[in-house]
Amino acid sequence: MADAFTPGGASGAWALEARGLGKRYRRGWALRDCSFRLPAGRICGLVGPNGAGKSTLLGLATRQVQPTEGELQIFGVPVDDPAAMPRFAFLGQDKPLFKRFTVAETLRLGSELNPGWDMAAAERIVRSGQVPMHARVGTLSGGQRTRVAFALAFGKRPDLLLLDEPMSDLDPLARHDMSTLLMSEAVERGTTVVMSSHMLSELEDMCDYLLVLADGRIRMAGDADALVPAHSLVTGLAGDGDPTDLLAPHTVVEARVQGRQFHALVRPNGPLSGDWVVAEPSLEEVLLAHLRSSDAPPLFTPGARIEAEGIHTS
Amino acid sequence: MSATLTETSRTGRAPGPRLLRGLNWLVVRQHRAALLTVLAVTVLGSIWIAYQHGRMGQTLEAAGWPEKELAQPAVASTTGLSLTVTALSALPVILAVFLGAPLIAGDQEHGTAQLVTTQSVSRHRWLTTKLLWCYAAVVVSGTVLSAFFTWWWKPYRSVFSSPWSEGPVFDNTGPVLPALCLFLTAAGITIGLLLRRVLASMLVTFVFAAIVEVVWGEMRAYLAPSRMLTYPLDGDMPARLNESLELDRWIGSADGHLYGWGLCAKTTEAASDACIKEHGIVNNVVEYLGYDQMPAMQWTGAGILVAATAVLTVFTLWRVSRSPL
Repeated sequence: MADAFTPGGASGAWALEARGLGKRYRRGWALRDCSFRLPAGRICGLVGPNGAGKSTLLGLATRQVQPTEGELQIFGVPVDDPAAMPRFAFLGQDKPLFKRFTVAETLRLGSELNPGWDMAAAERIVRSGQVPMHARVGTLSGGQRTRVAFALAFGKRPDLLLLDEPMSDLDPLARHDMSTLLMSEAVERGTTVVMSSHMLSELEDMCDYLLVLADGRIRMAGDADALVPAHSLVTGLAGDGDPTDLLAPHTVVEARVQGRQFHALVRPNGPLSGDWVVAEPSLEEVLLAHLRSSDAPPLFTPGARIEAEGIHTS
Repeated sequence: MSATLTETSRTGRAPGPRLLRGLNWLVVRQHRAALLTVLAVTVLGSIWIAYQHGRMGQTLEAAGWPEKELAQPAVASTTGLSLTVTALSALPVILAVFLGAPLIAGDQEHGTAQLVTTQSVSRHRWLTTKLLWCYAAVVVSGTVLSAFFTWWWKPYRSVFSSPWSEGPVFDNTGPVLPALCLFLTAAGITIGLLLRRVLASMLVTFVFAAIVEVVWGEMRAYLAPSRMLTYPLDGDMPARLNESLELDRWIGSADGHLYGWGLCAKTTEAASDACIKEHGIVNNVVEYLGYDQMPAMQWTGAGILVAATAVLTVFTLWRVSRSPL
């Protein structure tokens, strides 16, 4: 999947690059041994159960969380370098805005605090949602407030847009509007987007890159188009043995026995021979299998993996 | 050329003159209500003090002061004065609780700290701007009100109900009032930063301010080295003690030995005289702080408070640079 970027070229080709990234809270590791790359220009879904480390990863990328170990770069610039700040925009889960500011003042905030501010784009996003410019933010509906927050994020003209469950509190109509807005703006500018979400269908529609986290570790990283075909859904007779043994040369992500039959999601290492029914899984099936079985080996598509010598292991 | 200009004005800034830019604009806009309130309190308070000053002048003139002795404390205990003193004494606490405590805690609680620090400004710069505006507001307010109150108090100090050494005068005149405002506000900001909750930090700041007021009251007498004055046992109290704060009092013998003041307080005069003779007591000895020491004491106290403010500010900035908001 090396077509959309130039590995080994300018470090700016990687929107995000993590090496041995880890964050430990008092309760334990929220994120550990996290090494991956995200090529520029992709829409990346960040998937994982609650507490998997999604928000921690986004917090590390936006300098709101200090890493315990490892490093993270945005377009080749370490995140703690002030030069990284204008390159990303962040939209948190609860989309904080100053409630007493009017919409116009909120956009002025963007223009005052960001050197590359694009007022025309921000105003266009606000106007297209019929949000009155002189209304106070506190009086807006949830959908309108999200639109203003999006306008603030896009007005910054970021190269990387980080979204933490951006649609979670929206009604279906507003969700659809925001998805359309997000996709059109991102595509127009070539903005790289990282969005965490619980909505697998949302991810399937929007994302062409996936980062799957569970228990603070990366389970899968890479092109959505390559991750899914790397798996096969196998159904066969269980017999007496463990289906894992039957499928021996292949990597079994998850196997379940139902009566005399077994169902397994495997990563075939070579042709799947045997008296089995083999089917291609959906993205949702692959994700669910990986999230359920955290001991399966992680899967990286070629571009997403960082060379072994670069990885800080501990 | 003109196209570029048009483009800039269309896509660029909001119309109208822009006095403030960047973070200054944001901080002033966000705390507009608080800053205007502080400004209004300062202006109205100054006018009020000026009015009270004039009224007291008229009353005293009508009473023939200073040629005639006043029937104390008829003038000094006017409601205007006690109200002013109460309000001024409360000012540092009010500023700390309502301006200092929510300054950072409010942004942390409402998530707007996250909003601002994910724009293109560092949290260090944002915090510095906030602190500077907040400090400037409280220092200006404290200085102006203190200047007006000092101007009222100085010529009429002999008719004020509180002596110079006590809180109502000492804490509300000269550099002490702005320094107290500054220190307590900085403490409120630090408490808010650590607690991250507006209401909790306001309560803790209030308790902290109450404790500081008590400690400060105890500290006042130690702000300057005390002086000793010896005068004959049967002599009149020297005039220089009239406006002094008496810290302690002894009776002393000719060789300089000091005895407790109550040593010879006997039930009968004969017994007292015998006691005085027995110990060879000839002098009264007074340890005191003179009125002329007041400016030195005020500046020393203010210096301590400003130094403590500097420590709190450095801690706040260090804490924010070390761990995110």
